[in-house]
Amino acid sequence: MKISYNWLKWYVPDVPTADKLVDIFNYHLCEVESIEKREDGDIILDLKILPNRAHDLLSHQGVARELASLLNIAYVDPTPKYKIPESKTTKLEVKIDTGNCRRYMGRIIKNVKVGPTPDWVVQHLASIGQRSINNIVDAANIVMFDCGQPTHAFDLDKVQGGVVVREAKDGEALNTLDNKAVTFKNSNVIIADSKNTLAIAGIKGGKIAEVDNNTKNIILECANFDSISVRKTAQALNIFTDARKRFENDLSPELAPYAMRELSSLIFEMCPEATFEDIVDIYPKKQESRKLSFSTDRVSKILGLKVSVDEIKDILKRYLFEYAEKAGKFEIVVLTMRLDLTIEEDMAEEIVRILGYDKVKGDIPKINFKPQVNKTRAKIMWARNKLLAEGYSEAMTYAFCNKGEVEVQNSASDKKFLRTNLSDGLKESIKLNQLNAPFLGSDKVQVFEIGTVFKKSGEEMHVAFGDKKGVKEMKLDEFISPPRLSGSPPQKGGEEFPPQFGKEGAGGGNFKMWSLFPFIARDVAVWVPENIKSAEVLKVIKENTGDMVIRGPELFDEFKKDGKVSYAFRMVFQSYDRTLTDAETNEIMAKITSKIKENNGWQVR
Amino acid sequence: MNKGTEHPLSILANQAYDAFSDMGFEIATGPELESDWYNFYVLNFPKDHPALDMQDTFWIKNSKDLAKNSPDFAPLDKRTGDQHDSLNSSPNLVLRTHTTTVTARSLEKAGKDGRLPAAFISIGKVFRNEATDITHEMQFFQIDGAMVGENISIADLKGVLTKFYKKMLGEEIEIEFRPSFFPFTEPSIEVFAKFKGHWLEMMGAGMLHPNVLRNIGLDPSKVQGFAFGGGLDRIAMIKWNISDVRLFYQGDLRLNQF
Repeated sequence: MKISYNWLKWYVPDVPTADKLVDIFNYHLCEVESIEKREDGDIILDLKILPNRAHDLLSHQGVARELASLLNIAYVDPTPKYKIPESKTTKLEVKIDTGNCRRYMGRIIKNVKVGPTPDWVVQHLASIGQRSINNIVDAANIVMFDCGQPTHAFDLDKVQGGVVVREAKDGEALNTLDNKAVTFKNSNVIIADSKNTLAIAGIKGGKIAEVDNNTKNIILECANFDSISVRKTAQALNIFTDARKRFENDLSPELAPYAMRELSSLIFEMCPEATFEDIVDIYPKKQESRKLSFSTDRVSKILGLKVSVDEIKDILKRYLFEYAEKAGKFEIVVLTMRLDLTIEEDMAEEIVRILGYDKVKGDIPKINFKPQVNKTRAKIMWARNKLLAEGYSEAMTYAFCNKGEVEVQNSASDKKFLRTNLSDGLKESIKLNQLNAPFLGSDKVQVFEIGTVFKKSGEEMHVAFGDKKGVKEMKLDEFISPPRLSGSPPQKGGEEFPPQFGKEGAGGGNFKMWSLFPFIARDVAVWVPENIKSAEVLKVIKENTGDMVIRGPELFDEFKKDGKVSYAFRMVFQSYDRTLTDAETNEIMAKITSKIKENNGWQVR
Repeated sequence: MNKGTEHPLSILANQAYDAFSDMGFEIATGPELESDWYNFYVLNFPKDHPALDMQDTFWIKNSKDLAKNSPDFAPLDKRTGDQHDSLNSSPNLVLRTHTTTVTARSLEKAGKDGRLPAAFISIGKVFRNEATDITHEMQFFQIDGAMVGENISIADLKGVLTKFYKKMLGEEIEIEFRPSFFPFTEPSIEVFAKFKGHWLEMMGAGMLHPNVLRNIGLDPSKVQGFAFGGGLDRIAMIKWNISDVRLFYQGDLRLNQF
């Protein structure tokens, strides 16, 4: 939800600077996803309103009210400014023919003048990325971003008969305001007149009764629709609108009259000659006033923070809750917009986020837990330690593949099946690692994976291990059971195969990403007198390898003959920004050779 | 013979298990193919609610037949000897989107077995149906835990997670909580850790919602507890400065540097 700082300031003039607001939001309300300074001096904060507060915070007034209570600063109530002329009796007929419309308020306004929008409205809309269309449409739009209630305006002269809210007929169709043709199923709720389909209820208006430049008379709609019904319809039609977003998160039907008043006054401000008719308000099931009880002790117990009765009273007053308190037990009347507050735990959250989570100090519970050994885990660890000890290195490969026995319904990738074995992935891994064998410092690449495979009969935990000659795979239980093993199997879950890996000491330092360019491995073997240690030869080589060596020199072979000793070293060369040529490596090797020869009795084989 | 090299996520998982075991947590495991009951509804995700959008889910084709074959989806009475009716016998299956499934299964069983207070920790593979990039993978590892007893509070959550992150990332680590929302916790919290001067989002947490406790057969007027969950891959990337999450699942041994 984009919030304009200047717009917010209308309602909370004492609001702190935008920079300070970022922390206030992050620590007490919700994440600020971005902050953007506009050329006109306004600042836009993009708030990630949490789903449980989408009932009351997807609007500037909502956020302003929250800030006023949170920070204990003044909230400027705009309602005294809303002027509406005395209304006349109406002939508007509204009928609700579905259980999914909780309230429908309609009002006819005659003799409006469609035209340009006042600057402040254009500016407010532009600040949050909304395009101005005409004064009537803009008024309906800005009311939503101001108070949170989606509204709509129909051209009265294009409507035949009264307004009906009903379920669509299968195959009924409509062209939306943005010219998208949609076809309904009978579970979709629509707004219609006696002849045509006018709008997708709570989601999008239709072309037929669109307000255009010739419109003289309009019907305003401030309604409330069932959240699940709106969501299902919008999902099926694949339409995303700001109205949908608000309705699918559930709004209080008590917001509708407020929005009708704000919208009417705005249209009166834009069209002073307009005549207003009475509001038709169909409200089959009134939202009940709700009470919520909670105790200071229970809240303190949930939080692990001693909260006082006075602290809670202060919060309730700031947030304008009516309450009664007796011996630390509170009963409050829940504000109509706060559909999120239903249980004691909700109040614990409300209190702690207002006080700030930093008030809660960390504690380690002193409980003598009696954990049991997890057998699956113990088996995995045993198998893993055994394979590591035998020189196998650990790999993890993808669970998804091109064919198998278990298929996912939908996937962002083209691999729609789950693996039935580990071997296929492990063979690829071995192939890849074999190419990198010099880099890995080993001629013999041995790899294992322990992981889940998926078959028609369900999932199984498998162990696979192998090298370029082949891969063996079996169920974990088979792997750990005799007589396959030379070592004894675990008697009970906790025993580990010695030596144990993955304990203290492992895991220091930073990861070094490898180069994506090819590497070149080179060996050099040197005859030296018997008394010369390999380290001395190593030193000479090391001093002359240059900066392209990424592995080595490493001693990989050593033997004595006729009073002399031969040391063989391997080096791997690679660049992070280009492909090394043979010529470059040859040059380095030539330099190493000549440096070695400078020593008496040293000879490159 | 040289010993083989270890996958960084395994090293980290072992360290995390050790850290939580030291605080009395029991290691828990559970199926990767999970019922929609344990993945969503037991955790207070309402059907047809925007909250389900939070996690892009791999739903399994023809899952009724698959569920019939697997002991993981037998009614709980078949699994533990106790009567339980909340899991229907032919659920829709998903690839679990979090290991909170394991937490729920473990707490449910601990309750039936009269083993509360208890604390569980599980680290396992989870799946999200989303396009991959350097910070997103279709499969990754989640670390998930919970502690339930008579008086377990947010203060305990803070103490436990502080100790955990100090062990994983160094003694200088600070952590803080910020407001959040999850259907299965109330209050809900986002956990941040300060690492090398920056506050980083680490995991989601909170106090188990009373509906969740009821769904797993516990009485919220008698017990309460915290739960937390977040990506293990993310901790690894921060700890070792690994820039691309996809490197973890290539089977490339050049990754095994630690």
